Amino acid sequence: MVSATTKIVNPQGMHMRPAQLFVNTMAKYQSDVTILFNGKSINAKSIMHLMAACIKQGSEIEVQCSGEQEAEALKAAVELIESGLGE
Amino acid sequence: MILRGIGASEGIGIGSAVCVREQNLDYSAVVYSGTEAEQDRLQQAIQQFNDKTSAMAEHIRTQVGQKESEILTGQIMMLSDPFMQSQMSELIQAGQCAEAAVDQVCGMYAEMFAGVEDELMRQRATDVRDIRSRMLAILLGVSGMDVSELPAGSVLVAHDLTPSMTVGLKKENVAAILTEVGGRTSHSAILVRALELPAVLSIPNAMEQVKDGDSVIADGGEGTVYLHPDQATLADFRKKQADFLAQKALLAVYRDRETVDADGNRYALYANIGSPAEAKAAAESGAEGVGLFRTEFLFMDRTSVPSEEEQYEAYLSVSRTMAGKEVIIRTLDVGGDKAVDYLGMEKEENPFLGHRAIRYCLDRPDLYKVQLRALLRAGAEGNNIKIMLPLVTSLEEIRSARSLLETCKAELEAEGLPYHKEIPLGIMVETPAAALIADLLAQECDFFSIGTNDLTQYTMAVDRGNAQVEQLYTTFHPAVLRSICSIITAAKNAGIPVGMCGEAAADPRLIPLLMTWGLDEFSVSSSAILATRANIHHWRADAAGQVAQKAMGLSTAAGVEDYLHSAIQ
Repeated sequence: MVSATTKIVNPQGMHMRPAQLFVNTMAKYQSDVTILFNGKSINAKSIMHLMAACIKQGSEIEVQCSGEQEAEALKAAVELIESGLGE
Repeated sequence: MILRGIGASEGIGIGSAVCVREQNLDYSAVVYSGTEAEQDRLQQAIQQFNDKTSAMAEHIRTQVGQKESEILTGQIMMLSDPFMQSQMSELIQAGQCAEAAVDQVCGMYAEMFAGVEDELMRQRATDVRDIRSRMLAILLGVSGMDVSELPAGSVLVAHDLTPSMTVGLKKENVAAILTEVGGRTSHSAILVRALELPAVLSIPNAMEQVKDGDSVIADGGEGTVYLHPDQATLADFRKKQADFLAQKALLAVYRDRETVDADGNRYALYANIGSPAEAKAAAESGAEGVGLFRTEFLFMDRTSVPSEEEQYEAYLSVSRTMAGKEVIIRTLDVGGDKAVDYLGMEKEENPFLGHRAIRYCLDRPDLYKVQLRALLRAGAEGNNIKIMLPLVTSLEEIRSARSLLETCKAELEAEGLPYHKEIPLGIMVETPAAALIADLLAQECDFFSIGTNDLTQYTMAVDRGNAQVEQLYTTFHPAVLRSICSIITAAKNAGIPVGMCGEAAADPRLIPLLMTWGLDEFSVSSSAILATRANIHHWRADAAGQVAQKAMGLSTAAGVEDYLHSAIQ
């Protein structure tokens, strides 16, 4: 398993559109993707779970990827989050 | 019997009630037909749901708008969540039928969303419940009430008007719409106004009080519903309905005309709006721009300050609706009678003379900059947004606001975000101080808009909500009229445009005066656009000039009002 800590920079946080972009990107990788936020562990391949976590702008999160392609998945996740999730 | 609700869409509807009951989605009789068969049923239902929903989204997008259609496309995205689908499949593998799987999984997510702190996210619970009932209806083969088959003269009674219901509605057969939930800005309200159907929303227990076939009168302006009206009431409302329609038809001829007086002199006729949804109604009612967009709605009914992105989207949406036309956006005007709890404003002895509007905003640059940045960014696309400062009393306030605006521009420049570099900055002239130094203020701002409601209140030193002194509140007082005249003159001398966005701009008695003094732009509520255009059409410049001269020669408010009343006959 690999993991990295990052911060949500886009103003909307994990609302519908940013969450959708994130989920669609993560779907391309085989590994499991989990976000740790606020003491909760969130399945980051599920738009429903991601939205229900209410991750706002400025929130610190930890992304964990495990399984095949874990390194690539983590790199893509962090880059996408830091680039503002399409906003 | 009279029922009361919220008048959400003007007009009188007379007809007989048709109640849209919730569908029977009981699946207890469904027999489990094996894992594979149930999985197939589930997948087919999801496919059908997606097809139907994207067709509805497309219909709403063309009939109502992009934003409204996104509620439906969002539902498709949610149901497409592979994780949610695999949870349903697991239940099916464990021996549950597809209906039970959908019901349980959606129920769980609805609860999860209902419990979150973020308000916008909580609304997703409604979406999940909607997905659940529509999926169950598909699986059970229950067709919803077909509203496209309603007989003519139907008064539709429903718990809520859903987007899917609106899609099938045949407007000509519906006399009015009554619902149990929803306010003036709710989804249903926006939809019914777009359809121009009389509607009364939020009637408590409407579904129990009104029975199929009941004779009903709905007054969508007043928000009242008469059940089993007697002959006299019916006759009364038939007349009101005829008057309303006649007035509408009479004014309809002005919809696509220019706003010119009888000599062909042009004026700008804009609308006052309070939300992006109202911009659409304004454009449809013939407004040539937006003269006042109140931004308070973005800050009300919530528990935290709206983000830059949220504000940006709201401003951009109005800019797009009004593409090619001016949109004057007033920055946050809180305080006075408009309290916003989470801003932590202190309780004041004299709120109208207190820490409000521009005074509050300049003391909270953290908060004000978010709004200014959102405005600058939203202005980049159409270059049609103008920023207006409320309650200005001094040059220093304009200077401070301008310097904050420059700071925001520098930040955006550094961040590489597009913004409108030359965004015009104007002020609302609504205090006696601003009126008296209008010549000085005009040197440092790009436009004026006269706010007659506050200007009258402050000039007359009268609280219009206090019954003992409210008769002193009058725009016809020579002090107020002289003040308006000198503000317009100051703007003309400085060569900047001047508009009026208070209630006085729509008063037919004041139109000849405002025309004569040289007002460039009248900004009125959407419902007053056509009547104001008709009033302006009516005047020749010389006749208006004579009326203005005579009115200004009178020395009392009552004298002016009586004279103007007779002059416009």
